[in-house]
Amino acid sequence: MKRTLVLAVLTALVAAAAAVTAFGGNAGSDQTGSSAVPAANDSALIRCGRTRTIGVAAPITGAAASIGSQQLRWARYYVTRYNATHRTKFRVVSGDTQLPDTAQAIQVAERFASNSRILGVVGPAGSQEVQVSSAPFRNGGLGYVSGSATRTSLTNDGSRRGYFFRTVPNDDQQGPRVADYIRTVLKASRVVVIDAQNSYSTGLSDTVEAILKNRGLNVRRESVSEESTTDFSSLVARVPADTQVVYVPWQLAPKAQLFGQQLRAAGKTARLFGSDGLFDPDTFKIPGSLVSFFPIDLKSKVINAYRRGPGKGSTELFGLPSYVAADVVVRAVDKACGNGTATRGEVRRNIAATVIPKAQSLLGFTVKFVKQAQAPLGPGDMQRPANFGIYQISSSGAYVRVS
Amino acid sequence: MELPLAFDAQLFIQLTVNGVTLGSLYALIALGYSLVYGILKLLNFAHGDVYMVGAFIGYGVLTALGGPLSLDIALVPLIVLMFLAAMLGSGALGVLIERFAYRPLRDAPRLAPLISALGVSFFLQNSALLLLGAGFRSYDSFLLGSDQPELFVPGPLVDPVFVIHGVNVQTIQVVVLSVTVGLMVALTLFVARTQLGKAMRATAFDREAAAMMGIDVDRVIASTFFIGSVLAGAAGVMFGLLFSQVFHLMGFLAGLKGFTAAVVGGIGSIPGAMLGGLLVGLAESYAAGYVGGRWSDLFVFGILIVVLLVRPSGLLGARAISKV
Repeated sequence: MKRTLVLAVLTALVAAAAAVTAFGGNAGSDQTGSSAVPAANDSALIRCGRTRTIGVAAPITGAAASIGSQQLRWARYYVTRYNATHRTKFRVVSGDTQLPDTAQAIQVAERFASNSRILGVVGPAGSQEVQVSSAPFRNGGLGYVSGSATRTSLTNDGSRRGYFFRTVPNDDQQGPRVADYIRTVLKASRVVVIDAQNSYSTGLSDTVEAILKNRGLNVRRESVSEESTTDFSSLVARVPADTQVVYVPWQLAPKAQLFGQQLRAAGKTARLFGSDGLFDPDTFKIPGSLVSFFPIDLKSKVINAYRRGPGKGSTELFGLPSYVAADVVVRAVDKACGNGTATRGEVRRNIAATVIPKAQSLLGFTVKFVKQAQAPLGPGDMQRPANFGIYQISSSGAYVRVS
Repeated sequence: MELPLAFDAQLFIQLTVNGVTLGSLYALIALGYSLVYGILKLLNFAHGDVYMVGAFIGYGVLTALGGPLSLDIALVPLIVLMFLAAMLGSGALGVLIERFAYRPLRDAPRLAPLISALGVSFFLQNSALLLLGAGFRSYDSFLLGSDQPELFVPGPLVDPVFVIHGVNVQTIQVVVLSVTVGLMVALTLFVARTQLGKAMRATAFDREAAAMMGIDVDRVIASTFFIGSVLAGAAGVMFGLLFSQVFHLMGFLAGLKGFTAAVVGGIGSIPGAMLGGLLVGLAESYAAGYVGGRWSDLFVFGILIVVLLVRPSGLLGARAISKV
């Protein structure tokens, strides 16, 4: 009898849960308690309300957590600053993509796409993540702006037109700039290129190596797993003593710092040339080294406030383009929500039309997106003059822009 | 892959020095695996993360005393304090892990404590991530103790102690090697000559019989975890001093390679752990130097597979005898 009663109660509970799941249309309602939320797609009309939501997809845990967490902090920092000065508020929903595990990136994209409150996305971080996330974002009608995915084909192949945007130059912009500087300014003839065995690094390494070899320079290519390598002394041993420049398009500044120190300790005088991933004045400080990055104002109040606040003493500039990406998405959502409702399609179109004037852009130039392909730029890339400058690290560790 | 055309003696010596230094760390980690496996037949997969915690404790002491760039005390006492704090802290952690994650499962099927070990590993990694963040912390050993760190003048740790055929052997490398050898000698003497060491050997040989002979098996096992974790803590600080950066995931691969070293040398064997560590370190160094960085892990784990196929008990491990 007792057993029958227990079974009956359990059955009733299960049935009730099933009923709630099937018919509970208020599961996704906004705070104003509107009726059942429309399906999340391109043209579904969404009531904006006073609190709007953006998604941030970044590797918060895993091997790339040190850079993903920076991107999340910078994106949140933008939202915090926005909320402090506006009546309408924004809320961040974060998704942990666990780069390089692209399976997680797909799940995050699907979750964001099915969450009808999310009107735009910052991220994902890695080029391979953008590739695998494209279908879910497209199916959900979501626009997404990455602060770090640089593979040229992401915008040039046309498959993400109108959906994917980025607030970083692509590999075909940064690579030739770096190669040109190495050849014409540094006048180097013996170069070692060391890629970090990830999509960001190999793309840049391939471009720089190809250009320099075509120009007749002696280029040696090496590889190292940036995430898992802790001892670079064997790699240092492979760098010939007469090397003039070592190009390291890596993303982990502490690793590059260690590599540079071990290089110096071994008595090798080659100059290190880092990519934008190594622009970290707090960590990567090998004197005489060069780094490519946006022509930012290092004395900017926003950057210094970040250092005092979320950065906890560090500027974490790798995440800076994500701040700008959040700015782009929020402006687009705000504009779409002007009449109280918005569709994801509207937000995407607004992203494409966003212009952040130079005075308001932390990147040091006006942010505006390309609509028609103009090699090496594709739809979704930032229009010229968006590109990287070259910084030299002085003997005191200060970054000085030289080009 | 690009192979050298002619034998380069300087490169070979450099890689050997690198390999021996790296191997010392792996040997210390391997010792912890071997000690625990010898007594409990348990692979303590959390051991690599105890090493990570030791590295962070060392970093904590370093920064509390003004490091890395403006030290409040002299370099030598600082390093001694870092070692002591890391070793004691890691030792205490090891005892706690044994008490709460393994002891309740001592009589459970063998899989249960193994899964518990994995759980502890993830717990420690993610605790470090949540409490300390994902960023790298730097011992900055290149500039540690430098008179002019602002001018990038290297500190005494990277000064060459002696030069072999043009290859600088740095102070820190000599320190690491000396401390490792000292700890290993101390461990060997401890196990061979002290009462607790004898109790550990007896417990490893036959736990039940040892208990029947009046040995406090719980205390012996806890002591074993303490000693193994102390060695891991020391290895953690050495890693920080050698390679500067510490982060929450550093224990995973190091633990895996330490485990490889223990298996290659013969799990349960102290000399085997030392030999295995050396071999793994040298293999990694030679592979990275002669073949390429992307091949080094392949070679290391390839050696593991070969040893398991050819001599499953390891190079110095005792062959298991089964009654028929």
